Amino acid sequence: MVKEIERAGLPVVHMCTIVPISKTVGANRIVPTVAIPHPLGNPNLSKEDEKELRRKLVLKALKALQTPIKDQTVFED
Amino acid sequence: MDLEIQQRVKDIAEKFGPENVVVILGGSEAESAGLSAETVTAGDPTFAGPLAGVALGLRVYHVVEDEVKNEFDPAVYDEQCGMMEMVLDVDAIKSEVGNIRKQYTKFND
Amino acid sequence: MMKVVHYINQFFGQIGGEEKADITPQLHEGVVGPGMALKNAFKGEADIVATIICGDSYFAEHQEEATKTILDMIKKYNPDVFVAGPAFNAGRYGTACGAVCKAVKEALNIPVVTGMYIENPGVDLYKKDAYIVLTKNSAVGMREAVPKMAKLALKLAKGEPMGSPQEEGYIPRGIRKNYIADERGSKRAVDMLVKKVNGEKFETEFEMPSFDRVAPNPPVKDITKAKIALVTSGGIVPKGNPDRIESSSASKFGKYDIDGVYDLTEATYETAHGGYDPTYANADADRVLPVDVLRDLEKEGKIGSLHRYYYATVGNGTAVASAKKFGAAIAKELIADGVDAVILTST
Repeated sequence: MVKEIERAGLPVVHMCTIVPISKTVGANRIVPTVAIPHPLGNPNLSKEDEKELRRKLVLKALKALQTPIKDQTVFED
Repeated sequence: MDLEIQQRVKDIAEKFGPENVVVILGGSEAESAGLSAETVTAGDPTFAGPLAGVALGLRVYHVVEDEVKNEFDPAVYDEQCGMMEMVLDVDAIKSEVGNIRKQYTKFND
Repeated sequence: MMKVVHYINQFFGQIGGEEKADITPQLHEGVVGPGMALKNAFKGEADIVATIICGDSYFAEHQEEATKTILDMIKKYNPDVFVAGPAFNAGRYGTACGAVCKAVKEALNIPVVTGMYIENPGVDLYKKDAYIVLTKNSAVGMREAVPKMAKLALKLAKGEPMGSPQEEGYIPRGIRKNYIADERGSKRAVDMLVKKVNGEKFETEFEMPSFDRVAPNPPVKDITKAKIALVTSGGIVPKGNPDRIESSSASKFGKYDIDGVYDLTEATYETAHGGYDPTYANADADRVLPVDVLRDLEKEGKIGSLHRYYYATVGNGTAVASAKKFGAAIAKELIADGVDAVILTST
């Protein structure tokens, strides 16, 4: 899906936990996430901390969308 | 056949003795009914459940097979199974489950 | 007798389903689950001395640690061959099987065999590192897969020469081997050409790799004016799953209006995905689809706007062809709606 969206001409960022799979399917902008059943959350945190964590990840994704790249890029910290 | 049901079949066969158990299937496709039949006779073919490697050899029938159907009160059968009997591929189910039974059941009667 | 160590996941290890997918690697002496079938297929030539069971999610999330633990477990048995799976079309399981095989081969120099369905992501990642026997896409294919894997494993353990992928039933590894052909090259080439011209089936002697890569698009210029859309393969749907998206092998995607929605709650949204433990996503779907945060950013002017609709499907055993179709269809609509960029989340 990521690749088809990219092919259509839209910049797309893939947020996922298993980065190697994301690379295989051909995502170009990749942001690694927390865990498979809760990529953008962590139930062990308080509601506020969890949302802050999610906000950081989303901001990282937005940064990825604004970054010019040539090849597949994993946006770590 | 999911893991819980496999465990239940296994427990029942242990409690009552495999010779005293008959499994009646209701699966709507020949392939899945065949897999269930195989699970309770030769053992779980996917080797994922409690019946993996356990050949209970139980008697097993699908509810649309004549051996079972004839035991019912026809009015009750018609009410409960009549509709499904019309839409299912009964012949395929009969042949699939029948074949498995012939091959693997330990209780031929 | 030759010694084999076998790797399986929590499901085939009969420990449990998704709720147990986070278990750490554990060691069992002897056979468990599919190992029974494998052992039978060895027909007394080899014995499974130990089985290692690891949760699929645990492995995916702690690959380095898990691999290290597993290698330590294998070491002391000094097996003649290592077998993992088969994983069929289970993505995390396949990736784990491939990764463990690769590590065993590299660190311990023990031959390795696993089994997967051709679309399993583990195939592309690890086909060069391990013999991967081609299987059906579900555990129904166990009966067919096991004898092939056993045969390959025995061959490797004994150090016998390996046949071609077609003969042995494994996925081509990109290794070339010289051999004396019955006919000379020019004749084989012409024969092939004639068949091709006649529209007959022919077998190439050199499979071209299919690199289907799409170059990255230029970045978003001004994110504070951009319209951002959310797409997910994590199965987030309005409560009750109105489009009845299948929990695995999805045949469709859904488009959902989130106009005026500022937070996904337990009462309003859930996941339809059958391939991960749904507890966390059902309690708060923002954990998969970050609507709450994007609404905040929209309010703060950090993004232009959040697109009124989000798109969702279930990426669990879904055929690549379907996913391609969904992606293309979604992209078309997004472009028509003037969306500038997409965040796609996966579980």
